[in-house]
Amino acid sequence: MMADRVKALALPVSLLLIFEIWARSVHLHSDSLAPPSAIVVALWSALADGAILTATRDTLLSAFAGLFLGGSIGLALGILLGLLQPVDRLMEVTIEAIRPIPSIALLPIALIALGFGYRMEIAIVGFACVWPVLILTRAAVREVEPRLMEVSHALRLSPADRVRKIVVPAALPRIFVAFRLAAGIALIVAVTVEIAINPIGLGAAIMAAQQGLQADLMLAYLFWIGLIGFGLNAGLNLMQARLFGRAALVRDDA
Amino acid sequence: MALSAVAPKQAAARPQSAQIAFSNVTLILGGKPIVEDLSLAVKPGEFLCVVGASGCGKTTALRLAAALYQPTSGLVQFDGQAMTAPRRDIAIVFQDYGKALLPWRTAAGNVSLALEATGIPAAQRAGRIDALLKKVGLPNHAGKYPAEMSGGMQQRLQIARCLAQDPKALLMDEPFGALDAMTRQGLQDEVLSLVAASSTTVIFVTHDLEEAIYLGDRVIGLLPNPGRIGIELPIDLPRPRDQLTTRENPEFLRLRRELFDFIKASEA
Amino acid sequence: MTRSAVYWRIASFLVAAGFVGLWQLIANLKLISQVYLPGPDRAWAALVRGFTSGDLASKLLGTLEHMVYGWFLASVAGIALGAVIGSSRAARSYIAPSLEFLRPLPVSAIIPVAIAMFGLTQAMALFVISFGAIWPMLLATVHGFAAVEPRLYEVARSLQMSRLAVIFKIALPSAAPDILAGMRLSLTVALILSVVCEILAGLDGLGHSVLLSARAFRSADLFAGVILLGVIGYLTSLMMSYAESRLLGYRRGIR
Repeated sequence: MMADRVKALALPVSLLLIFEIWARSVHLHSDSLAPPSAIVVALWSALADGAILTATRDTLLSAFAGLFLGGSIGLALGILLGLLQPVDRLMEVTIEAIRPIPSIALLPIALIALGFGYRMEIAIVGFACVWPVLILTRAAVREVEPRLMEVSHALRLSPADRVRKIVVPAALPRIFVAFRLAAGIALIVAVTVEIAINPIGLGAAIMAAQQGLQADLMLAYLFWIGLIGFGLNAGLNLMQARLFGRAALVRDDA
Repeated sequence: MALSAVAPKQAAARPQSAQIAFSNVTLILGGKPIVEDLSLAVKPGEFLCVVGASGCGKTTALRLAAALYQPTSGLVQFDGQAMTAPRRDIAIVFQDYGKALLPWRTAAGNVSLALEATGIPAAQRAGRIDALLKKVGLPNHAGKYPAEMSGGMQQRLQIARCLAQDPKALLMDEPFGALDAMTRQGLQDEVLSLVAASSTTVIFVTHDLEEAIYLGDRVIGLLPNPGRIGIELPIDLPRPRDQLTTRENPEFLRLRRELFDFIKASEA
Repeated sequence: MTRSAVYWRIASFLVAAGFVGLWQLIANLKLISQVYLPGPDRAWAALVRGFTSGDLASKLLGTLEHMVYGWFLASVAGIALGAVIGSSRAARSYIAPSLEFLRPLPVSAIIPVAIAMFGLTQAMALFVISFGAIWPMLLATVHGFAAVEPRLYEVARSLQMSRLAVIFKIALPSAAPDILAGMRLSLTVALILSVVCEILAGLDGLGHSVLLSARAFRSADLFAGVILLGVIGYLTSLMMSYAESRLLGYRRGIR
């Protein structure tokens, strides 16, 4: 166990050390590279003056709002299509026609309709989050144990109660997986929109650092964005393991 | 040479004609002796069956013979040479045929794998493949993928691939353990006739005592924890053998009784 | 396809046509301003005009070029690197944790670094697209190589196969389902990053062209571009499905 940790850290630590020594020995002055020590200093000062925290808040706010919006639509549609086979077959062509549109292609449309700011970013993130949630929820609902559905018929539950008391609880572990994957996508899309055009959040901040030729600050932001991505992923994995046990973890592929 | 250093107790008794020879072989895995001080000689063309309670190291012994494992001490020899790495003239038939076949290749493709490894020119392969598939009773299944074949057919296919190696020795690890009784009997007879037609040496590991007596020239029973030889029975039943008459032979029944008592005692 | 499946398919197309009709109705009644939402008739006209008298074809080609070059580079590098890491236990224990750490990184965050290094150039786009597209393939290949049935390696040993033969005859085909799944994901990533790079660097392609249309409020041209991007996404995913069904046909009996 300990040896594994050491092996895992050996590569990144030695790379950073080599880079630090090299950068110092050639007195590196670059627009794109900076020694790790300078990056740490830049990160620290950006944390101290609150710039990085404001940007993080903006990005996460847009990402989660988009996840909530798109996830709700995807969840509702997923349950509907999972339960009603005929509707699913009728909607097939429509869904297959809209789904492959790359979310970022909607950026110009969102831009003229909603202008710069949170709203357009949330709309694009929302569009991107609909699909994974819809498809995984639909599959989860379809595969709810048929015995449970028979029970709900025998109990003469109303359709609303059937969804609330049987379908959603039974499909919950896989719905959580859908939202976990969608959360990762939400963060990626939010940062991408900010880098491409929207002047808020971490993406805009890293672009500003690049345009200001502050390589240390730019790389500090890159590291921070990586940390956020890693933390979000690890946190959701942990939550999933806590809530549903390890068995649910292996069912990501669908 | 190195042999004398480990002071072989029984090595001197080993007949010079042995094709596969174990001399005081011990294998320790994870601090636990799996096989201890095993000495064994298999003559060319002999059909040796190995039985024993589960965990007695019979599969391990087979893997040592194939050099898939290296002994911790002692020596495994083939035709007088130390086995330090697997060799192509020793073919091994695994029990889990489903895992040992390439699922992305057809039956013909799976047989071809062995021919490719042997360096047979592409032009000659098709003919050899047809002949081999015919030999194991799969002449009309060349284009099928393993997933489209029954368990018995998959095991036949694995045997065909092993025969494509043109082996001097065939090591079979509970090859029919996962098959139903009818399929198993059919395959037993086919293996006997395939082996009778060549002079292949066979080591056949099984947990089925009757199968061991029915097939073998000799049966050895291993004792568990750690694995060592507990009983050795020469089988003098007449050949060719027959599923009905051989199994009704009083000698067969006597051997079965003896082996059964041995296994029962070893498990107690 | 059975007869009823065909009927369902037709009905499904009719529903989609109904939605297009609804869109036309909304546009005709001007429920949403024409500035934001052109009708399908105007979008279609813009599409036809763009191909016959405009430069839509060259924009389309530009985007395809960015996407395919980056994706191809990423495929070659990703599969080769993944094979090296995946087939060695030692390499896996040293490198895989770092890869796992980098996996959730929003890859677009590398764009500013690439701009600092290469400027607003084609080289920057190629770097960003292939850097983004390499991850799914690299991770899938590592996983595929690590998950090869150990029994098959034993078969290879007893056949005394060469290291090269083991890679090409055993490990690669065994990892093929994982690798193809990774390639599919990479294509999507490559398309998205192509659009982003075109927007940022003003490179010739659909991404830049839709942005210009949006800035000039030429909504019909804008929709034509977005539809075209959707078509690229759809066709590439169709191509991958075809490749998968051809290459993985042997799994029919398994599933």
